[in-house]
Amino acid sequence: MEGQATPTFIGDPITADSVVSKSLTMAEAPIKITITIPTNAYFMSGLRDFTMNIVRNMTGFSEQWAYRFQSVIDELVNNAIEFGSAPGQDVKITFLSLKGKSIEIFVEDTGTGPAKKTADELARLVEDRRHVNPLQLTSIRGRGLAQIVANWTDVLEFKNNTEGGMIVHVMKAIESGEQL
Amino acid sequence: MAEVQTSIQDIDANGKPAKVIRFAGQLDETNVDMEAKKIYEVIDGMVEPNLILDLEGLTYMNSKSIGYVTDWYSRTAAKNGRIVIARPRPNILDILKVVGITQIIPIHDTVDEAKLALGTVVAAKE
Repeated sequence: MEGQATPTFIGDPITADSVVSKSLTMAEAPIKITITIPTNAYFMSGLRDFTMNIVRNMTGFSEQWAYRFQSVIDELVNNAIEFGSAPGQDVKITFLSLKGKSIEIFVEDTGTGPAKKTADELARLVEDRRHVNPLQLTSIRGRGLAQIVANWTDVLEFKNNTEGGMIVHVMKAIESGEQL
Repeated sequence: MAEVQTSIQDIDANGKPAKVIRFAGQLDETNVDMEAKKIYEVIDGMVEPNLILDLEGLTYMNSKSIGYVTDWYSRTAAKNGRIVIARPRPNILDILKVVGITQIIPIHDTVDEAKLALGTVVAAKE
């Protein structure tokens, strides 16, 4: 699909801090918010509400994109809960917004989950599923990252962190030519 | 935890028994498996399951709940039945479109339209 992110596995570190330091040269400082939640889907409803408020009020993105980012964050964090962090551990979520320009989200797990995947494995899985004809995709799972997140972001990256977990980074720019 | 209510109503679609399944609230990882069981019971209990999913009250659905919808579609089709969707909110329609479900399952603006479409197709089979 046009505008769909290409899942990549990059060598340079992708962290919210590295992006902030690059952004500080710009005229307007980015808004950075970090939230840590326990590995439990119970907290997702509140996180979706939070995302809606942030995107609506602090980013310059439209109401439609506020709803879309609710889904993006939900799928990313559920992925971290399912594959990345064991029960009792945490998932760290960082929002980074340059108002009127872009939103970035970083979701970091601890790599302790029983169904842990490496960044390379997850990138490959997403790549395999992103072009599947919906008429042929009959499984209940497999649409979150590969279709929802990939279609609604410009960048989708997976990176192993130094502690054994993974960081998933997404970015959506307002200047991408879409009606935001 | 997200809250969702599911209600099921018997209707008549051109002389054929059908059901309207109404969802209100949010379908997410915390509740979708439990709600899905109710729909599987409905499908299993009908000879020819013809279903309208009325999504007017649904404010959120995740990828797994969309996966269940496609599985219900397959199961109803296997029993010569049909599923149509009625009254999705704009954000719900948006996510259904992005995963391609609108290419598979017809979407209608009202329950009456959905009922008519379901009945027309059912009648056409006769």
